[in-house]
Amino acid sequence: MAAASTFPLKPPRLNRVLTLVRREYASRRTYRLAFLLDLMFGIANLLVYYFISRTLEVAADSNLGVSSYFAYVLVGIAITNVIGSASTGLAYRVREEQFTGTLEALMVQPVTLTELSAGLAGYPFLFSMGRAAVYILVGGSLLGIDFGRTDWFGFVTMLLVSALAFGSLGIILGGVMLVVKRGEALVGLFTYALGILGGAFFPISTLPDWLQPIARIVPTRFAFEGLRRAIFLGEDWANDAVILLLIGIISFPLANYFFARAVDHTRRAGTLTQY
Amino acid sequence: MTSVSTNGSVLVIEGLTRRFGGHEVVRSLDLRLEPGEKVALWGPNGSGKSTVLRCIAGTLLPSEGAVRVCGHEAGSLDARALVGASLSQERSFDMRLTGRANLLFFARLRFGSERIAALKVQEVEEELELEAIAAETVNRASSGMIQQVALARALLGDPALVLLDEPTRSLDADARERLWQALERRRRTSVVLATHLDEDVKRCGRRVDFPT
Repeated sequence: MAAASTFPLKPPRLNRVLTLVRREYASRRTYRLAFLLDLMFGIANLLVYYFISRTLEVAADSNLGVSSYFAYVLVGIAITNVIGSASTGLAYRVREEQFTGTLEALMVQPVTLTELSAGLAGYPFLFSMGRAAVYILVGGSLLGIDFGRTDWFGFVTMLLVSALAFGSLGIILGGVMLVVKRGEALVGLFTYALGILGGAFFPISTLPDWLQPIARIVPTRFAFEGLRRAIFLGEDWANDAVILLLIGIISFPLANYFFARAVDHTRRAGTLTQY
Repeated sequence: MTSVSTNGSVLVIEGLTRRFGGHEVVRSLDLRLEPGEKVALWGPNGSGKSTVLRCIAGTLLPSEGAVRVCGHEAGSLDARALVGASLSQERSFDMRLTGRANLLFFARLRFGSERIAALKVQEVEEELELEAIAAETVNRASSGMIQQVALARALLGDPALVLLDEPTRSLDADARERLWQALERRRRTSVVLATHLDEDVKRCGRRVDFPT
């Protein structure tokens, strides 16, 4: 049986996507303490790096205009959250829907897979954007990071193109989770490696020589460097943005195709509702 | 894909076979359903009734054969827009939200418009007398209450074909009667219902046996 037409790749209808995002928000809002603890844990994490930075007084990377290690890592942590959410949000949401038994109920609704994937990943992504904003606000107002040179247009542009590029990765990982079920470790390892290699916590120049060529072509490197340039230099972020945009444009349809094939695989194997 | 002529039929199943590994659960099933027709898939647990419902809903692909809904391949976007399904009622809602919030969510997915979604949910709540049940958070609702919300979801927007998996299992007599009245009011709606209860078979008028 030809399954290709069953889940066609069509442009998403925004109201369907927002419906999925709204349901997730409504559900998450009922866990108020977890929401608060999540934010507090993130800020505590920032403070650890703040004191490490004060202890070591390391200037992280002058090429990116970063004045201290804390400034470097603050952006790394904030943006790792956003990139991590874009790249793992769908996979974890698929897993949750499988556990709660709602995935099949969603799959019989007249929504396209692109709407489903964007809608399921939408809330965790928006939440991570909000969390990144809080981190940067805390860093700027309480912990002495200077945002005086920040190009906010560049910052937002970089976030958007990063979301497109890593959202595609997220759709692929969502498909992987659908097929292999307990893929959390694989997904976690993959995104953690992308963060480390891309320079989330330390410059890639500190990596072993043999690893640096790989780190230079990892997409997260363009995201971290572009965002740090936009924030601390206020310029020179456009090349990174263009590279991420191209990655996104090329990978988005491929990722959606992969996800559709993963769904068809589970329909063929009869494992869509299994977890 | 096998070419299937539908000729106005709501559902056409031809030569449906479904295997899981080496185990053949459904063998060469043929079924044609006209508008308004109701059929009970009757048989014991594990006989393949739910598998057939899932093949019609599109969450399972047939191993062999073809399933079409109003001429559309089962599971396609067009087919899903014509089908209302209640497959695994008790684990198919967000348990932290009320029945109404869940119904509104599915109605928004189906209709897109906030206004129409609210209207359709209100209509089905009134019809099935679900106002009090729909106000409950799902994790505080009983199996029977959740089953009624699941029926309401399947009926949203008067789909051409309704798929119900053991829909009366946990219902009291009044709720069962409301279910049958709701189905009988929809004279153009076709129903495929999986059951092992004689009463359900009698109300459907047509039965397809599933052997052990």
